[in-house]
Amino acid sequence: MTSTTTGSTVTRMAANRSGGKMIADYWDNIFTAPERGKKVVWYNGSALNPIFQAAGLEWCHGEAFSARLAALHLEGPAQLAGAEYGYINELCSYSRTHLGCAVLSQGGGPAPGSETGAVDALDQAELAGRLPHPDFFVNAYSGCSTGQQWDEMSYRVFGKNVPIFNVSIPFLWGNHADSGYMQGQEWEEATDYVVAQLGELIAFIEGQTGRPFDWDALSESMSYIKRASELRLEGMELCTNKPTPATYWDWIASIAHINFLPGNQDLVNYFGSVRDEIAARVANGVPALENERYRLYFDGIMNWNKLGWLAKRFAEYDAAVIAGRYTHSSFWQEPQIIDAENPLRGMAQHYLICPINHSLKTLNYLTLRDCERFDIDGMVFHSTRTCRAFTNPQTLLARSAREHLGLPAMFFEGDVADASFYKDEVLESRLVAMLENIDVRRAKAGRW
Amino acid sequence: MTPTVSPLARMAEVAADPDAYVLAWKQSHPGRKVAGVLPMNFPEELLHAAGFLPVVIQENSEPDSEGRVILAEFYCGYTRNLADQAIKGKLAHYDAYFVADHCVQLLGAADVMRYAQPEIPIYFGQFIASMSESSTNGKVRGEMGRIVREVERSAGAPIDQDRLRNSIRLYNEDRSLLRKVFDARRDGRLHLPAKQIQDLVKSSMIMEKAEHVALLKELLAHGLGTQAATGTVKLHLSGHFCHAPKQELLDLIEECGAEVVDDDLYHGRRYVTTDVREDLDPIDALTEWYFDRNVNVPCPTRVQHDADWDTYLSNAVNASGADGVIVLMAKFCEPHMLLYPELRKMMDEREIPYLLIETEHEGLPMESIRTRVEALVERISRRPARVAG
Repeated sequence: MTSTTTGSTVTRMAANRSGGKMIADYWDNIFTAPERGKKVVWYNGSALNPIFQAAGLEWCHGEAFSARLAALHLEGPAQLAGAEYGYINELCSYSRTHLGCAVLSQGGGPAPGSETGAVDALDQAELAGRLPHPDFFVNAYSGCSTGQQWDEMSYRVFGKNVPIFNVSIPFLWGNHADSGYMQGQEWEEATDYVVAQLGELIAFIEGQTGRPFDWDALSESMSYIKRASELRLEGMELCTNKPTPATYWDWIASIAHINFLPGNQDLVNYFGSVRDEIAARVANGVPALENERYRLYFDGIMNWNKLGWLAKRFAEYDAAVIAGRYTHSSFWQEPQIIDAENPLRGMAQHYLICPINHSLKTLNYLTLRDCERFDIDGMVFHSTRTCRAFTNPQTLLARSAREHLGLPAMFFEGDVADASFYKDEVLESRLVAMLENIDVRRAKAGRW
Repeated sequence: MTPTVSPLARMAEVAADPDAYVLAWKQSHPGRKVAGVLPMNFPEELLHAAGFLPVVIQENSEPDSEGRVILAEFYCGYTRNLADQAIKGKLAHYDAYFVADHCVQLLGAADVMRYAQPEIPIYFGQFIASMSESSTNGKVRGEMGRIVREVERSAGAPIDQDRLRNSIRLYNEDRSLLRKVFDARRDGRLHLPAKQIQDLVKSSMIMEKAEHVALLKELLAHGLGTQAATGTVKLHLSGHFCHAPKQELLDLIEECGAEVVDDDLYHGRRYVTTDVREDLDPIDALTEWYFDRNVNVPCPTRVQHDADWDTYLSNAVNASGADGVIVLMAKFCEPHMLLYPELRKMMDEREIPYLLIETEHEGLPMESIRTRVEALVERISRRPARVAG
């Protein structure tokens, strides 16, 4: 610990508790879908859930399920089943956890009562029973080429007997001079293409459900999501205050809500409560950290195994992680593009602005923008071992932040859902070094 | 450029040092441009017709230094090496880059190339990888049109349709000649070391196509069937996308008593398997070529419900009578990691002996691999004769 840190404690947000119950209820609902005669769609990538909601389906987001298993430290059996099936541990751990569930649900892994398999039969039965079989798959992966291939493998693990539909989301490379964040010819053409595919997806879903699609229900759901997003962004804006009233870890805790919980009044109420609690903290001078000394930006997808651990680790050094690419540049972060009356175009555009669907130029713009906005002192890069999509240009982002804003950076290795890649000592030593770097810079600038 | 050595030696020379070939070509073709192509699906014919020398950029043999820092160590060896070459200025002889494949690691390297050399345009004309959706054909056709416009802009002149037809014809001829070599090897009429087969394909990715065709014709005119079989166990090499497996590794496999009789490597049969139809509008034909390739040799980087690499591999083993399969996987290649269990399942069901070898840009544990290959060869040698099929 540096000589100046005090070992802050974190003041957890009360909204996180009610939010946690909403997530648990959502998954319980999924697990009971077959009993209620509901069709279940397994999907990956973009937030298509408003479409599924309007179609009267239950939706299970593969990455989210893997993340939940990892956050609950229950990912092991599925990953072992995947390994037995042949998936190498360097493969995206979201995918091999989810595919491991698929293998288990197909009766893969060891025979019941077997003593020789890597997966205990009890774990197998428990996991396999919890995730209902899909009635069909939908894939709409932005940015990451692995995402589409992953669901193709799920399709094959289920013997090619479950229908599948792919929505292809073009990568926003920036071929032309007019290309930029949400602008230019490439942006408009990509939008048109995705809108057309969403129309085809809806026709596919009508074929699966045997019912005409409920466009009014989609508009209603999107109006709730738009409002929830606005409230979420208002809460985030309040974190420009010093000290910050909420942290990146609080926003992580509400990702499930904005990403895949049903668009309804409960969702709006939840984000209203988040915004209000943060506003109250500002009004009453209650900081998220007892003694905020450093304001950090987090680049990288979340290490779900270590969520609480990381929050405490950074707090120990009085380091408030305030914003990040994952939390602040994903998840309906541009609500103004949603026209609830005619929502498909805004939805398509939202899918396109996934923060792994941009090349370096746009990522650089978004990162520097948020570092300036939240008056960041240093950058933390989670070099996510099996997520090449999120790790992609991190060293170049670090260089850019150093050159343009004078920000120091640290890298640590971990993973989305495989705890074996995380080394706590590495994180600690690099964090200490970066904080000392910040101290030295402050001393030189007379800001000690 | 008149070869002063045998065709095989000349192609090996080019394959060993692509940069030297490109620099010499530029010197002998003043005013002409060289386009760097990133694997694996960009239609080189368009660039050829526009007057470029299209070159599929190869992994070089130098140790990475910058590239392993600027991209994460868990990127594949090819992409880290591409980044390394870009940062070190080793790609400065290219006038433009073109890529059609959406691979996060490849685009990561492309981002580094754009960062290191902002003056060199790099055009990404994305070919949608999901082949089974009805909208994909139209999207790829549209993208092909956009690529044409970009190639024309980069070349500074429109692509003449007759020249494009000629380029397609020339590329088809090259592929056809190479397929003759592959078919002869598969049928037991030809015994060439695997590294020489690789040289034939790799040099095709680099050389002026007419020159390569001339070399192949000369080679075939003199006959290839003079060498003896290199081993007693017949193997199929499978996988290894985007870049060539190290020749030391190919030698090692043969040193262990194996003969490679067929493959589906990108630097192998995969590259030459599909011709562009000459009876269609050229742009339509190039679009169709993209889809046909994935039917002829399915690739896990594409998503197509009715094209199975495992089925292809099973049939290929039948056709060649291979006794076993070595799967060469570039470490960290995610599409390959995802599909590998399906291959494994097929080979287990058919009781085809196989071995997975993960490769890296540098630091391959050759002696440990030797032991594993020897064990595979030994295992096959001890089996009773297998009835194909």
